[in-house]
Amino acid sequence: MVIPWVGIPLKDVINTFQPTSQAKYVEFVTALNPAQMPAQTGRSLPWPYVEGLRMDEAMNPLSILAVGLYEETLPNQDGAPIRLVVPWKYGFKGIKSIVKIRFVDYQTKNTWQVMQPSEYGFFANVNPAVSHPRWSQASERRIGEFFKRKTLPFNGYADQVASMYGGMDLKKNY
Amino acid sequence: MKAIVLLKRVIFVAALIPAAMLIVGAFRGTLTANPIDYITDRTGDWAFRFLMITLCVTPIRRITGWNPIIQLRRMLGLFSFFYATLHFLTWSVLDWFFDFRSMADDIVMRPFITLGMATFLMLLALAVTSTTASMRRLGRKWTQLHRLIYLAAITALTHFWMVGKVLVTEVTYWAVALTALLGFRVWWVLRTRVHVRPAPADFDGKKSFP
Repeated sequence: MVIPWVGIPLKDVINTFQPTSQAKYVEFVTALNPAQMPAQTGRSLPWPYVEGLRMDEAMNPLSILAVGLYEETLPNQDGAPIRLVVPWKYGFKGIKSIVKIRFVDYQTKNTWQVMQPSEYGFFANVNPAVSHPRWSQASERRIGEFFKRKTLPFNGYADQVASMYGGMDLKKNY
Repeated sequence: MKAIVLLKRVIFVAALIPAAMLIVGAFRGTLTANPIDYITDRTGDWAFRFLMITLCVTPIRRITGWNPIIQLRRMLGLFSFFYATLHFLTWSVLDWFFDFRSMADDIVMRPFITLGMATFLMLLALAVTSTTASMRRLGRKWTQLHRLIYLAAITALTHFWMVGKVLVTEVTYWAVALTALLGFRVWWVLRTRVHVRPAPADFDGKKSFP
């Protein structure tokens, strides 16, 4: 099945703060609390985890700040109390336990883009045509299904979001 | 009963525990939210661990001088092959369900899978020639062929290392262990070469001086 996330449209939250035209990108930062999240004491990643969206992506009605799933309150391990869900970037950009949202005028660097730039770019749209040395995006297995299915461009939301990337080479801007 | 026979039986049963735990876990539904990934990781872990344990046999024999331990080597190597086979089957059946085209793409396009496949084929060659009859038939060639385990251990470790997107500490420890195990063999060869060098003719005690 496709996970039924419960959340608030991100654009409603953004509109509350009335960003100016200087706000080109939105940056998100995860809670840094090694006492509660022991893996943050390790050096696997430069904590805290950081993600970013372009303003038009953040304002798209599909982008949500999730507070639950399966009609339940978001469990800790899934990123309580608030996590980002961007359906056409599914598997990417799902930053958990957000404690800070900033409007900035530069393209932010997300954590995986810093750690592994050959595999993770800024945009991270689901794109079956983009294959990486370690993994393919051509197929997927839905939770609860045994057989894989072909992955669709923009995870099946091309009609709603493809227009934001007109003229961009999405193989380069992966 | 001889100690080695008892030890062999104990190890045989113990070596099946990881496989048994996967079966129990499958029935109890405790193989995490992503069972295929979990089974892939565990079978891969044990294939690699048994490969490393197999490589420990000779150094232990040399250091302790306890020769019967060599009788464990084939069984340990075959357990590595056993878990490698489960690892391969998890990938080809559970993950891809015989989608040969996608599997071929994976082997060609993903270096870590290329290395995994190469490792599996090497272990397959070693497993099919592991019988006593093969040892007799191949003679010296058998020893040469079975040195492939050194290469298989290196490709297996590289495969393990390349799977992760960041370097995992565990892989570093295994790299140190493998360096020690292979280093021991190099050191042993150099050491024995020095020792068996024939004494110079002048000192053979038979030459008479005028």
